[in-house]
Amino acid sequence: MNARIQVEGATKRFSGGAVTVFEGLDLRVEDRETVCVLGPSGCGKTTLLRALHGLVRLDGGRVLVDGTPLTAPRRNVAMVFQHFGLMPWKRVRENAAYGLELAGAPRATIDERVDRYLAMAGLAGFERSYPYQLSGGMQQRVGLARALAMEPDVLLMDEPFGSLDSLTREVLQDELLRIYQTIGRTMVFITHSIEEAIALGDRIVVLSERPARVREVVTVDIPRPRTVASVFADPHFVPLRDRCWSLLREKAA
Amino acid sequence: MTVHGAGTEMLARTDVGAGGGPRAAERLLRSDWAARLASIAAVLAVWELFGPKLSPIFLRPPSQIFRAFFELVDNGELAIALTQSLRVFVSGLVIALVAGTFVGVVSGRSRLVYNLTDPWVSALYSVPSVALVPLIAVAFKYEGDAPRVATVVLFAIFPILINMQQGVRNVDRGLLEVARAFNTSERRLWTDVILPGSMPFLLAGVRLAIGRALIGMIVSEFLVGLAGLGYLIIAYQNTFRIDKMFVPVIVVAVLGITLMGLVQFIEGRVAPWTRRET
Repeated sequence: MNARIQVEGATKRFSGGAVTVFEGLDLRVEDRETVCVLGPSGCGKTTLLRALHGLVRLDGGRVLVDGTPLTAPRRNVAMVFQHFGLMPWKRVRENAAYGLELAGAPRATIDERVDRYLAMAGLAGFERSYPYQLSGGMQQRVGLARALAMEPDVLLMDEPFGSLDSLTREVLQDELLRIYQTIGRTMVFITHSIEEAIALGDRIVVLSERPARVREVVTVDIPRPRTVASVFADPHFVPLRDRCWSLLREKAA
Repeated sequence: MTVHGAGTEMLARTDVGAGGGPRAAERLLRSDWAARLASIAAVLAVWELFGPKLSPIFLRPPSQIFRAFFELVDNGELAIALTQSLRVFVSGLVIALVAGTFVGVVSGRSRLVYNLTDPWVSALYSVPSVALVPLIAVAFKYEGDAPRVATVVLFAIFPILINMQQGVRNVDRGLLEVARAFNTSERRLWTDVILPGSMPFLLAGVRLAIGRALIGMIVSEFLVGLAGLGYLIIAYQNTFRIDKMFVPVIVVAVLGITLMGLVQFIEGRVAPWTRRET
């Protein structure tokens, strides 16, 4: 059976080839699993995620989604951005409906799904607010609802909680675990936080420094359903964290 | 630009007050207005008391200008001049708005059009527009409103054009990526992202353009066929009726303040996110 996403020998260079971001990178994401991509900042995690959605062209290798080579963003894949990416001139509701509108979904479908996923993201009652009236955490809930409303097979998350304070971050990690419990889709989650990677991931792909390669794939054998608290209390947590730490430090040396 | 600057500072100060709740902010806003009115009142009082002593002919006291105002209203002179002037001003500003927005969008989007137009835009924007007014007059054969409208367009178009161009070029890269990630069409990219994102730029350009259009209007009335408020200014200046001369001057000033305030108000309505308070 095909993997949801398969990366084969992906190579990306910037500045006319002077900087190699990653080279010969292989990655497999199975259906309905959560893969966290963990790496030091500047190692090309975000570029890799963009490549998984066909937003950057690779200089070598290829990305297969559902077994076919990716050339442009697919409708069954949705992305959540570190910078939230909300349109300041659209209300919460219009922002959440954006992807469905572009996909040409019928009005009734849009209304029903936007209501459902705004509620799921904890935004009931904020439909008519503008993004600037919301806190960072609430804004990212809108970004999440916008992606969920597409009911995508794959959710690509680009350090979505990276710019939030640690408390908000943990609340949203719990929400994401809860949401994932109910909808159970495939997810690729970029992060530089070891704790976040362990809390959310079934597997953690640890990248090396630039030019990035897969250093190791760590399996997170912590049972679901999870909460952030239950993960931190799990006996596997500390050994996993130490393992990831040493993998990250290895390359720094 | 000064009006814009004052507005921003005012907002910054209400932000500080926002810590004490909306009522504190409201109190600050009221004290802002009190300061503005006090400033105007003080200048008028000094002018009234000491102006005529300095120069009895040229500094007529405000009370006399006030009387002259009603004189010009009663005999209909002001209404006629204002109609003539506003016709030219509005036509010129509308043409500048439409043409400036259009060229701004196209040159902001197309590198070729940008390179074709930029030398001319930079040159015409740098040259004192007044110097070109006689050329315009000749080109339009001194006939009717046309040369005056063209002058207003010349004065007003560049801030609109340049700002719109900047708005289109400075579109948020992050939002462009979001749009691409959700498979946008080219048309939806414009209506969802680029045009709404350029709105604050455009409105700031319009605010600048209003001031320049008023100057263009008066200058054209000085130089191309005497008409409107500009004519009143020249006529009463030449006959040393300085009290009456000040009436159209003040009318133009009030027009400028009102219209710029109106644009600022519209900005707050259509682009509320630019008034971000956090």
